[in-house]
Amino acid sequence: MAMVRKGFLTSFFVIFSALVICAAVADQAGAQNAKASFKKCLTCHPDIQQDMAAKGAHAPFRKFQCSRCHNPHASNYEHLVKDEIGTLCKSCHKDKKGDRGKKYTHLPVEEGACLKCHNAHLSKNPKLLVAKGEDLCFGCHAEKKILSKKNRHDPVKKGHCLRCHSPHSSDQEALVKKDLKQICTTCHSVKNKKAKNAHLDYPVQDTNCMSCHNPHGSNRSSLIKETSHEPFAQKKCTTCHNEQGSKNPLGLKGKGASICITCHASAQEDFKKINSHVHQGVFCVSCHSPHASDEDHLKKAKEVKVCLCCHEDTQGCIKDKKNEHKHPLVKEGKCSPCHRPHGSNFRLFFGADEFRVCADCHKKHVKFTHPIGKEASDPRSKRDITCITCHKLMGSPYQFALRFDRKKQLCIQCHKGY
Amino acid sequence: MFRRFYFFVIGLVLFLLMPASGFGKQEGRIKHLSSITGNKEIGYLGLLGGVFFDENKNRLYATDTTNHRILAFDADFKYISEFTGGGALAFPASIVKDSKGTFFVTEPTEGRVLVIDIARKSIKPIDFSAVPEGNTIYPGHMAVDSADHLYIVDKANARILVFDSNLQFERQVLVKEGRGLRDVKVDTAGRIYALSTLDGSIRVYDNQGNLLLRFGKRGSNKGEFDFPVSLAIDQRGLIYVVDQHKNQVLVFNKKGQFLFAFSQLGWREGRLHLPSFIYINRSGQIFVVDRENARISIFEPQ
Repeated sequence: MAMVRKGFLTSFFVIFSALVICAAVADQAGAQNAKASFKKCLTCHPDIQQDMAAKGAHAPFRKFQCSRCHNPHASNYEHLVKDEIGTLCKSCHKDKKGDRGKKYTHLPVEEGACLKCHNAHLSKNPKLLVAKGEDLCFGCHAEKKILSKKNRHDPVKKGHCLRCHSPHSSDQEALVKKDLKQICTTCHSVKNKKAKNAHLDYPVQDTNCMSCHNPHGSNRSSLIKETSHEPFAQKKCTTCHNEQGSKNPLGLKGKGASICITCHASAQEDFKKINSHVHQGVFCVSCHSPHASDEDHLKKAKEVKVCLCCHEDTQGCIKDKKNEHKHPLVKEGKCSPCHRPHGSNFRLFFGADEFRVCADCHKKHVKFTHPIGKEASDPRSKRDITCITCHKLMGSPYQFALRFDRKKQLCIQCHKGY
Repeated sequence: MFRRFYFFVIGLVLFLLMPASGFGKQEGRIKHLSSITGNKEIGYLGLLGGVFFDENKNRLYATDTTNHRILAFDADFKYISEFTGGGALAFPASIVKDSKGTFFVTEPTEGRVLVIDIARKSIKPIDFSAVPEGNTIYPGHMAVDSADHLYIVDKANARILVFDSNLQFERQVLVKEGRGLRDVKVDTAGRIYALSTLDGSIRVYDNQGNLLLRFGKRGSNKGEFDFPVSLAIDQRGLIYVVDQHKNQVLVFNKKGQFLFAFSQLGWREGRLHLPSFIYINRSGQIFVVDRENARISIFEPQ
């Protein structure tokens, strides 16, 4: 019995070793074959030979495995790559770090535009990045706005964007690496005397620092955002919050939005409309910062970001590459020139009826346009024709943001005889 | 050999036919019946609010919010009359009627719900003084159950206010974590259905306000919502949800499983453009307020 077992183990060892050697030889032979066959590439692309030998070259490039990414004969894609760049990269770069499926994704990742940040063949920078540190990020993210401030956050000064942000995706807003309530306290203590004094002894350790501070830079000291809510500027926290020594010092003095309406009574009237953005709780802070902001009207973020945070499907329409024709204000990310953010008695939260809302700016156009208004009825729906009968201003594949191609489909929607 | 081939061919034909019969477009189950549009008799329709079908009188009522009136139509959807309350209506939005013939009309701009007794020529607001305090009440859509309880969406506090048949405040159903509470309906068993737009969720409560089921989310996959704004329940318990930005009605079973959708963006009859409200009567007729087309589109099962 022991002899049989010994024989079996020996056979197993011999076969296993043979397989390992075969695999290694095959791999080497494959690599040599690849080298042999793709050496032809160098005939026309002699400049890449030096790059292939350089440190930091992409592994398939270094190993002469051109066909991992390129089709030598024909392709539907630029540079004869085998697939769309995003798909091609993902075929090897699996989701090892759990980057996919997170709530927020960096736009180039979402668009599969890996080459916006990475080089495909070679880079002097780690991870094949096209540039280093801040030069990489500021290629797209407004350098002037971030760096023009008098006071800058230390990682910003050093170009260490990845100290706080994840480059691919994150479950936190703005691709921040940690929960917004924790990211700052990773480096900054709010328990020392200086910090306690600055926060007037309010327990701010579990709050969102970005409610008052700009994490990149500010012209004000302590990176406080440029415009302050009046009670905040006057350090009169108790205008809205309970006293420091109370049981719940960060609790509010009034219920729901009444805390805001106490001072901003006129705003309440704006919400008393048939279309209203009224919500539960202190709904004003859904869009406005109660402490400080870098935007007008103490908006929490840029107007378009505030609006599209809830209107996510509209964001999809605006971002859709097919919808290249949009109203210029949509392109600029301005919603409030046409829509009333608090409430409206007109369609679609417009500031006026559908004629006036357009005609106020397009004064010349209304003089020569297709008949509109109550005298012109849409034969399809029997309702009055307005500008948005023909235009889809959030985004359309057709010129002038028309709903249909004006050369083929638009007019015959109603004028069947043509 | 021939027989084996014969059976193979029959099997193949049956297999090819199966998707056409078994998994065919379920959209075909619902057909467009009629539309109520503006005309010379009633003039242009403004922003439409809600609709309600009176089963006792076989009449359809609709609020023409920006024209400050309530319109009445017969069972064939022919215009009967309009009611303006002698100018007493500001911006009538949602409308329901109880079994005693009393109308309830919300006026969100005034933060009130009007009780309209046409026989007694009386219009007065419901007394909200017993309602637990919170933000100023913003009344949204409403529903009435078989016992004449009135259910009112309070958008400003994410809750459903329940009043008894004597219009005494009874209780509130808090729609916890439901962002953007928009619509409420009650089925024949007294279950309460609440729709929240921003998280695209539908919550079903028993008549005591205990949560029984939650389903739905916003997204681009099949059965997910872009911007759901209203819901209705048919006699079989199927749940119909109007998606304003998809310009469709999505239909779910009692368990919240997606079944099918009908209609699409368009201007011709049967198509929808930013629909805002849905109501289903006992005979299964589906009334959709097709807001941007300024009409009420009526559908029915085939």
